[in-house]
Amino acid sequence: MEPAEAEFLAEKELVTIVPNFSLDRIHLIGGDLGPFNPGLPVEVPVWLAINLKQRQKCRLIPPEWMDVEKLEEIRDRERKEDTFTPMPSPYYMELTKLLLNYASDNIPKADEIRTLVKDTWDTRIAKLRLSADSFVRQQEAHAKLDNLTLMEINTTGTFLTQALDHMYKLRTNLQPGESARSQDF
Amino acid sequence: MSEAYFPVDPGLGMEENFLSLDDILMSQEKLPGRAESALPRLAFALGQGAGTGDSIPEGSKLEIPLWLAKGLHDSKRRIISVDLPKIYKEAWRTVFSADANVVDLHKMGPYYYGFGSQLLNFDNPENPEIAQTILQTFISRFRRIMDSSQNAYNEDTSALVARLDELERALFRAGQKGLNDFQCWEKGQASQITASSLVQNYGKRKFTDMDG
Repeated sequence: MEPAEAEFLAEKELVTIVPNFSLDRIHLIGGDLGPFNPGLPVEVPVWLAINLKQRQKCRLIPPEWMDVEKLEEIRDRERKEDTFTPMPSPYYMELTKLLLNYASDNIPKADEIRTLVKDTWDTRIAKLRLSADSFVRQQEAHAKLDNLTLMEINTTGTFLTQALDHMYKLRTNLQPGESARSQDF
Repeated sequence: MSEAYFPVDPGLGMEENFLSLDDILMSQEKLPGRAESALPRLAFALGQGAGTGDSIPEGSKLEIPLWLAKGLHDSKRRIISVDLPKIYKEAWRTVFSADANVVDLHKMGPYYYGFGSQLLNFDNPENPEIAQTILQTFISRFRRIMDSSQNAYNEDTSALVARLDELERALFRAGQKGLNDFQCWEKGQASQITASSLVQNYGKRKFTDMDG
């Protein structure tokens, strides 16, 4: 899976916008949206919000968690805990990037938010490496990673599963089981 | 184009993958061995003596490719016996257990893990130790591979991979791809549509050149 595909999934998340046009309720395959009234907040998927924003048809209201104080708290908690802490959104990285790239004029202190989210990401990735290393060292066969987000799993996923696959084969080398017989006729 | 190309991966277990090019190259590597019985008219084929009729006397030392050694090896009929290559022997196993990171597995291999796994087919009494050493070597080199593959962005990685075995290099590439894809996405390069490398290298005249 590529980061762009994770972003594609993230674009299904809902955000609130304030439109400057009026439109009746629209019926889309994934659900109904609207009605849209000028000046009244309405929830839409991120992909639509960005499209409307680019056409200058709305103002975007940042998600509740996209706030300097809250993000500082999240970052500090992430640094304190040994395991992964719950993130405010399963697509926090994707949403930060999308919203800051297309609607940074609607988000207060955009630069600080970018730095804070990047810090949190770096902390979590370093933690992920550390736990992957101890996982391999102790030759574990399973692990629970509750609060990792898709984008984080995705950046090291292929690498980690491939390494564990090699390790499994090297560990079972001496026990000829059903896997060794699979190429027999 | 790499997405549409599915090469057969190396097997790594007790059995090789029949169509894996890496496994075929790996099984070409030579093994030290000894003829347990006389092998008539085979001196030429095994690179000893000049005449086609010469035979190999019993007990002579041989260098046999792995695939042939596997075919000739039989626990009942003693045709050949196989020795361990020196890097799988105890002296080197001690080096690996001291610090696996200092060993140049490319020079020693370059198919250290695959070849070592295949060696287990020869019923050597040291098999458990060999298997254990290979596994521990991989485990202790894992961190180095992970860190170097996921930190080196836009760098020359040839120095990093120079000492890696072929299997580790594939792993390194997987780590690099994860990092590079993410960085591209973060910088917004993923959303730019570019011409495929196939089209860019296309040698023929473009349609627009035809009028002028």
